[in-house]
Amino acid sequence: MIQVNNLTFSYSKKPFIEGLSFEVKAGEIFGFLGPSGAGKSTVQKILLGMLPNYEGSAVVGSVECKKHGSNFYQNIGVDFEYSTMYEKLSARENLEFFSSLYRLRHRSIDELLMAVGLENDADKRVADFSKGMKSRLNFIKALVHDPKLLFLDEPTSGLDPTNSRLMKDMILEEKRRGKTILLTTHNMQDATELCDRVAFIVGGKLFALDSPHNLIMSKGAAKVTYTWIENGEQSASCDLTEMAGDKKLRNLIAENRLQSIHSSEPTLNDIFMEITGKTLV
Amino acid sequence: MSAAQTGTLHIPKVRKKDMRAIQISFLHMLKFMKKDMMLLAAGLSPLLMGAAIRLGIPAIDKALRSFTGLSQILGPYYSLFDIFYSAITPSMFCFVAAMVMLEERDDHIDRYLFVTDLGKRGYYISRIVIPALVAFVISAVLLPIFRLAVSSFAMILFLSFSGTLQGIIIALLVVNISSNKLEGMALTKCASLMMLGAMGPYFIERPSSHILFFMPSYWTGLVITEGRAIYVLPTVLVSVIWIVILSCGKFRRYT
Ligand SMILES: Nc1ncnc2c1ncn2[C@@H]1O[C@H](COP(=O)(O)OP(=O)(O)OP(=O)(O)O)[C@@H](O)[C@H]1O
Ligand SMILES: [Mg+2]
Repeated sequence: MIQVNNLTFSYSKKPFIEGLSFEVKAGEIFGFLGPSGAGKSTVQKILLGMLPNYEGSAVVGSVECKKHGSNFYQNIGVDFEYSTMYEKLSARENLEFFSSLYRLRHRSIDELLMAVGLENDADKRVADFSKGMKSRLNFIKALVHDPKLLFLDEPTSGLDPTNSRLMKDMILEEKRRGKTILLTTHNMQDATELCDRVAFIVGGKLFALDSPHNLIMSKGAAKVTYTWIENGEQSASCDLTEMAGDKKLRNLIAENRLQSIHSSEPTLNDIFMEITGKTLV
Repeated sequence: MSAAQTGTLHIPKVRKKDMRAIQISFLHMLKFMKKDMMLLAAGLSPLLMGAAIRLGIPAIDKALRSFTGLSQILGPYYSLFDIFYSAITPSMFCFVAAMVMLEERDDHIDRYLFVTDLGKRGYYISRIVIPALVAFVISAVLLPIFRLAVSSFAMILFLSFSGTLQGIIIALLVVNISSNKLEGMALTKCASLMMLGAMGPYFIERPSSHILFFMPSYWTGLVITEGRAIYVLPTVLVSVIWIVILSCGKFRRYT
């Protein structure tokens, strides 16, 4: 669906995105993970043909992005990181207008509004929407023409847990319907849960690319952390596979002095730090 | 033209079937305008202004003449009023379009529309080219009704055309330089001063009046005062240079 080869781009004279190569397969959810300013949105904009001054190649569908024709956007749905709605118009007026621009396939606006729980706010001005409501509205706007490829820029940011759950379920539902989805996020949980594969990017460069599961398994082993009382609470940890060799732990078990004990797999966040040396956010 | 200017920038060609989205986008602008009192007023103002000129100026002229006893006061400048009027009508329409574009930029809608079936080129066609065409037609219809001096069909067409070019220049100036609607309104007032070039041929001796060569309206004034068709050329040329420069600036900006 998307092939990027040796992509190089910068807004200024200073190099920014350099030699980026990756491929997104049809039907998968591909995630861009990286701290703020990493270039996640920039790569999306390049793939959308909005920044034609790049070098290397970026092919979406079978079209080189900087040479796209007027049909290019028929099968692309975009949810930018900011709201892109007429603030003075109602939610319904907005969706109807954007939907009417497309010639092919239109999804029911009422059903979409219902799906994100906005059916009772459809006739309210967008200016009077809360941040989370705007995010949900922006998301369904990307779906009105039932595109094959979705670009979602931080779709879950600014949502409460309930709506974040709802949004993630909708994204997975779109995947089931056969869409290819490219999303950016700095939320590791979301990435782990949604993405078939993730790309770590920092400072415009790609650091790793694999499924969240493989990334977690390939690096860092599961750890056991335990606590006990000895001049206040103490804690220590060891690798799950080396538990038997941990003398302190064995003593504590023998003396029944353990306060707590739990094992934890490394999260994608730990892996990200290990690979890139940077934290997210 | 802008693609050639910026070298690497690619803007796809518009095919016939794309006109559908452009038409919807243009109609949407009209709907949007109806909801905004200021824009609606601006759109209707050419009618009021035309009536005021047609009825007011000859009456004032008559009163002044009988008061001073002079035989000529405003008479020689009647054609200047026609030039102004032919520029005001398209400028108002282009101003409305510019305001809508600024509001769309504030709401980040322009860049969203660029990635829909409408596309970047379609967007600019629906916000600049079509409003300008409509403005031209309306100007050509209203000018014969409200004119004071010009009479020939060719003159009316020429004035409507040069007025439309003036309107496009003002709209592009406003959209390029201002970053929001408020600035846009202030800037429109400044940009409208470009129309005053038409006064040059009436009030400044030649050749010192040529200092106004960079204003298209100056050449429009010359066409009328000198009655020589050759000045149509610089009118169009200077306008087109303005438009090309302003278009390139806009298309080059990152979105
Ligand atoms: N239009 C622009 N002109 C110049 N520089 C820009 C522009 N847009 C972004 N940048 C710069 O490019 C860099 C990457 O921005 P980008 O928006 O791609 O980051 P991001 O990874 O999406 O970050 P975030 O998680 O905060 O959205 C930043 O340093 C930013 O300042
Ligand atoms: Mg971003």
